[in-house]
Amino acid sequence: MRLLELSRVSVVALRVVRQLKRDRRTIGLITFAPILLMILFGYALSGEMSGVSLGLVDYGGHAILKSHLEGTKDFNILYLGSESDAEKLVSEGRLNGAVILRPGEVRVLLDATSLQISNAIQAAIEAGASRERASLQEGPENIVVMRFIFGYDLEMMDTVGPAVLGLVVFFFTFVIAAISFLRERTLGTLEKFMVSPLSRVEMVSGYVLGFSLFTLLQSTTTLLVVTLGFGVPMRGNPLTALAIVLLLGAGALVLGSFFSNFARSEFQVVQFIPLIIVPQIVLCGVWWPLQSIPEFIRPISYILPLTYASDALRAVMLKGASITDILYPDLLALSVFFLFFFIAATLMLRREVA
Amino acid sequence: MAGNGDETAVSARGLCKSFGRLRALNDLSVDIPRGVTYCLLGPNGSGKTTFIRAIAGLLRLDGGDLRVLGEPVARVKEIYSRIGYMTQHRALYPDLTLQENMEFFAGLYGIERSESERRITRLLEMVNLQEHRSRLAGDLSGGMYQRLSLACTLIHEPELLLLDEPTVGIDPMLRQTFWEYFDLLTRQGKTVLITTHLMDEAEKCKIVGYMRSGKMAAVGSPEEIKRLAGLRPCLELWLKEPEKDAALLRAEGYEIQICKGVVQLRLESHEQIKRVLAKVNPLDMRLKEPTLEEAFLRLSEAS
Repeated sequence: MRLLELSRVSVVALRVVRQLKRDRRTIGLITFAPILLMILFGYALSGEMSGVSLGLVDYGGHAILKSHLEGTKDFNILYLGSESDAEKLVSEGRLNGAVILRPGEVRVLLDATSLQISNAIQAAIEAGASRERASLQEGPENIVVMRFIFGYDLEMMDTVGPAVLGLVVFFFTFVIAAISFLRERTLGTLEKFMVSPLSRVEMVSGYVLGFSLFTLLQSTTTLLVVTLGFGVPMRGNPLTALAIVLLLGAGALVLGSFFSNFARSEFQVVQFIPLIIVPQIVLCGVWWPLQSIPEFIRPISYILPLTYASDALRAVMLKGASITDILYPDLLALSVFFLFFFIAATLMLRREVA
Repeated sequence: MAGNGDETAVSARGLCKSFGRLRALNDLSVDIPRGVTYCLLGPNGSGKTTFIRAIAGLLRLDGGDLRVLGEPVARVKEIYSRIGYMTQHRALYPDLTLQENMEFFAGLYGIERSESERRITRLLEMVNLQEHRSRLAGDLSGGMYQRLSLACTLIHEPELLLLDEPTVGIDPMLRQTFWEYFDLLTRQGKTVLITTHLMDEAEKCKIVGYMRSGKMAAVGSPEEIKRLAGLRPCLELWLKEPEKDAALLRAEGYEIQICKGVVQLRLESHEQIKRVLAKVNPLDMRLKEPTLEEAFLRLSEAS
C-alpha cells in the first residue's frame, strides 16, 4: 500500500473544507478580524512618544540646536565620542537615533522602523535648526543630512501591515487546526482512521490542503484591505506574498496539530495562545526591531516562523523583492519549520492511541 | 485448536498486554471462526475492548501471537480495507450531513462515486435513516447517531466487523433489525465480533466468549456455556397439594424448592419430565430454561 495517495488526501481536504464552510462564525472571524487588528495596531499604537534615546556627538558648533535638543523633555540624551559609535548603537537598536554636530553640518542617523520615534526626532531637529537660523542671521549655511539606518520614508501602517497579515493567518490557523485535531481525537474519528487505509501522512496532508483554501481566502482579503484600504504599497508580486502566507499557514497548521496532543479540551487549546502566539508577536521584529531585542532572547526570534514571514512579506511588499531574493533565509526557514512540525505532528498521531 | 488462516478470522495465542500494573490481557488464547457472530462478554475491565483494539492493530502487544484474517497482526494495516471497526465513541462528524459523513468514509476506502451512492442509499435504508440524508449528523438523536455510525462502518463491506457495544442506546425494534442484518452478513461469510454487556444479545450469537481478568473463562454456544456453568432446566409445577407432592418427589431424590406455592424441580435431563409426571398430576406446568445471565453469574462466582 502506498504511503501517500492523492485521492485519499483530497477526501480529507474536501471534508475539512465542508466543515469549515459550515462554520460561518469562524469564516467571518478570519475575514474581519484582520481589518480590526490592522486598525488597532496601525493607528492606536502611533501615539506620542517619551523616553526616546538619542545619541549626541558634538564636534563643535550648533550650541542653540544642542540646547534645544537637551531641553526636549521626551529625549534621553547620550553623549558619544564619535560618529561610528553612534552608528553602531543605532544599528544595534540601543539608540533610536543620533545627531552628529559639526560646524556647518548636522548629520542625523535614524532608525525608521519605529516611525513615531524617528518622526519625533526629525521634528525636534527641524525646530532646533530653525531657531538656530533665526538667531544667527549671518554665518555659514547649515546643512542637515538625514540618514535612515533602517527603513524608508514609510508610514506606520506600511511597516505593520505585512506583519499583521502574517500574524492573523498564523494565529487563526494555529487555533483552528489545534481544535480540529483535538476533535478528531475526542470524537473517536482518529481511532477510526487508524483502522482504515488512510495513512498518517495522508491525513495531515489533507488538512494542510483543506486549510490552505481558507488561508488563501483570508490572506487575499487581508491583502486587499491592506493595500487598497490602507494604502500599503505592493511593490512586489502579490502571488509571492500569498505564497509566503500559505507556507506560514501550513507551518501554523502542523504546529497546531502537534500541540493538540497536549490539550485535553478546547479550553486548554486556548491556553496555548500566550505560549505560542504572544512570543511571536513580541519577538517577530515588527513592533520592536530584532536589533532592539536583548541578545540572549534573540535566538528565540530566529526560531519563530513569524519573524521570517514578516521579514519576507515586508521585503516583497515594501521593497519589491522577488521570490529569489527571499529564498534565503526566509523561505528556507519557513520550509524547515513546516517540515519539522509536519514530521512531528505525523509521528504524534501514533497508532497506539490508548 | 489449529489456527488455520483459512477458517479462522481471528486466532490468538497467549496474548499479553499490561497498562502499567493492570494486566488487561493475561495469556488470552482463542480462535474466532469465520462466518459467525461471535460475542465477547464479560464484566467491565475484563479486557473485551483491549482485545478488540489489539485485533484492530491499535495496541502494541507485550507478547503472544495474533493473526487477523490469516495475517499476523503486525501487517494488519495492509488488510484494513477488509476490516470494519466501530468504536465506543461513535466516530462521526456532527457538522457534516449524513450523506457527507458516509461519502467521506467511502472516499477513504477508495469506493467509486456511483458505487458509493448505491451503498449509501442501501445502508441508510437499512438503518432507517434515508429521509434524514441531508440533515446534520449533530442534529440526530442518540439512537440515530448510533445507526449512522454502524452504516459508516459497513460502507466498505468488510469481511471482519469489530463492533464495540454496537447496540447501546438503540430501541428493541431496531436492535432486532441490526441482528437480522448481522445474520445476513454471516450468511455471506462475514465475521461479526461484538462486545456487549446485554445477555439477551449474547444469546443471539453463535458463539460466546466469556472473558474474565484478561483471559477467556469460557467459550461455546450459549447452550454449551450454560451446561458448563452447571445450570439445569427447571420444571415448575402447579399442584393441588404442593407440600405433599413435594415430599413425594424429594423421597425420589429430586432437588425441590417451593416458591409461592409453585414447586420448582431441577432437571438432570429432559427425560426426567416423564418420570416426574408418572408420580404427580399437576394442574399446570412450565419448563424454565436457564438464562445465560445465570450461567455467567455462576461462572463469576466460581472463579
